[in-house]
Amino acid sequence: MVEFQTIQQRGFHNTYDENGKINGFEFRFVPKYYKGYWFSQCRFGNITVDGEVFDRDEVIYVYDGMEYSREELFSLRKYWQFREPLTFRVRKEGGLSIGYHNVGLQFGWVLNYNGALEAEADGSGLGNMAHMFGTDHERRMLLCR
Amino acid sequence: MEKKGTPRRGICLYSYHNLLGKTMTLEDAFLEMYDTGATCFEFLTSYIPGYPNPTPEWVDKYWGLCEKYQLQPSELGHWAENHLRRGPGMTDEEVVEELKMDFRLANLLGFKALRTKITCTNMMCDPEPGWQNYIEKALPYAEKYDVVMQNEVHLPTTLHTPHIRDEYLDFIHRTGTKHFGFNIDFGTFQTKPAKGLEWMSDFKDISKPEEIVDFLPYSKVCHGKFTGVNENFEEETIPYAEVIKLMVDNGWSGDILSEMEIPIRFFAEDSAENFAQAMVEIPEQVRRHQIMLRNILGY
Repeated sequence: MVEFQTIQQRGFHNTYDENGKINGFEFRFVPKYYKGYWFSQCRFGNITVDGEVFDRDEVIYVYDGMEYSREELFSLRKYWQFREPLTFRVRKEGGLSIGYHNVGLQFGWVLNYNGALEAEADGSGLGNMAHMFGTDHERRMLLCR
Repeated sequence: MEKKGTPRRGICLYSYHNLLGKTMTLEDAFLEMYDTGATCFEFLTSYIPGYPNPTPEWVDKYWGLCEKYQLQPSELGHWAENHLRRGPGMTDEEVVEELKMDFRLANLLGFKALRTKITCTNMMCDPEPGWQNYIEKALPYAEKYDVVMQNEVHLPTTLHTPHIRDEYLDFIHRTGTKHFGFNIDFGTFQTKPAKGLEWMSDFKDISKPEEIVDFLPYSKVCHGKFTGVNENFEEETIPYAEVIKLMVDNGWSGDILSEMEIPIRFFAEDSAENFAQAMVEIPEQVRRHQIMLRNILGY
């Protein structure tokens, strides 16, 4: 079971290197759409935390225990199972402070459903479904460690 | 005189999607469907854990749920995607391989009908040119796995939208296939906007109930779309009784599956209040819709 929101508070925490030093943070995301996707259909935008922007190509995407770059996801033959969280791992020295943070991201996808085909041949946009379902997600979350 | 049809009433699991995996397990959904008196259901490929490779243990569990809750597989919703990669579309052969994968799954899980979504290029669901090539190549496999690909006629598409006759019906006549047809979504008969869903369509051009008759020979499963059923068990925006009478009088014995699209479905995740509302309204609305179908059908 996952939380009803797309950005999950469960799993939101700082990450640590092998010496126990905080080297970033991570959180999980579950699309609200009614179906799953092949990862090659997914389009990711940047992440923001309290206004600070983290480039989408610096993010590590973790699924089923494996780490991927955004570029690798374009050719990954793997199905993002319905209601299965994808972890966004972000490198940031010192991580985030204990307390509340506004976490935001952009996510879109390509689907053969009732819209123009994807405009960007290189997949650099946010897919072709934004006109129906939007792309922006944000949640205020409490970080404890 | 045509023998009267005896459609089954069933439910699209899609109706519960806001709740699935959040407050509702798959077994919860089966129990909920059993409660309504429905006898069949639509699944989506995405609701098969481990898709496209479910474990034998899950397949056993699935059949166990069907038996326990006395529900029959009706339709498997899937997508004939031909743009799974960036850049140019996939080859026909690549698309056929994807389709074969879903046909096999449908066969394994007992579905005789598929809701096959062909790539569309606009809100009117005009298909991307060239779809006939991969669908025709897939027909022998649809026959092998005993499934019918059904293209959905979905609002704002009508039964007289040009591509329905000029492309899809023409394809059926040209190939003579029994493995391609239509899932006629009742939303195509919707006469006016539902409260809270005014943005969906202007409803200036809709299907007339009598138009369905020509398409019944090519349809096994229809989506019983609804945007709200009142406490008197009436869907005030769609002429259900009139359409179902035409189906029954013309001997149609397919499946009508409740497919819920009440306004809260679009906004359930926006706030805790919305989600709480969705938890209550969604199952209740499906129950109301099933009572409405029972009242019309008489069983």
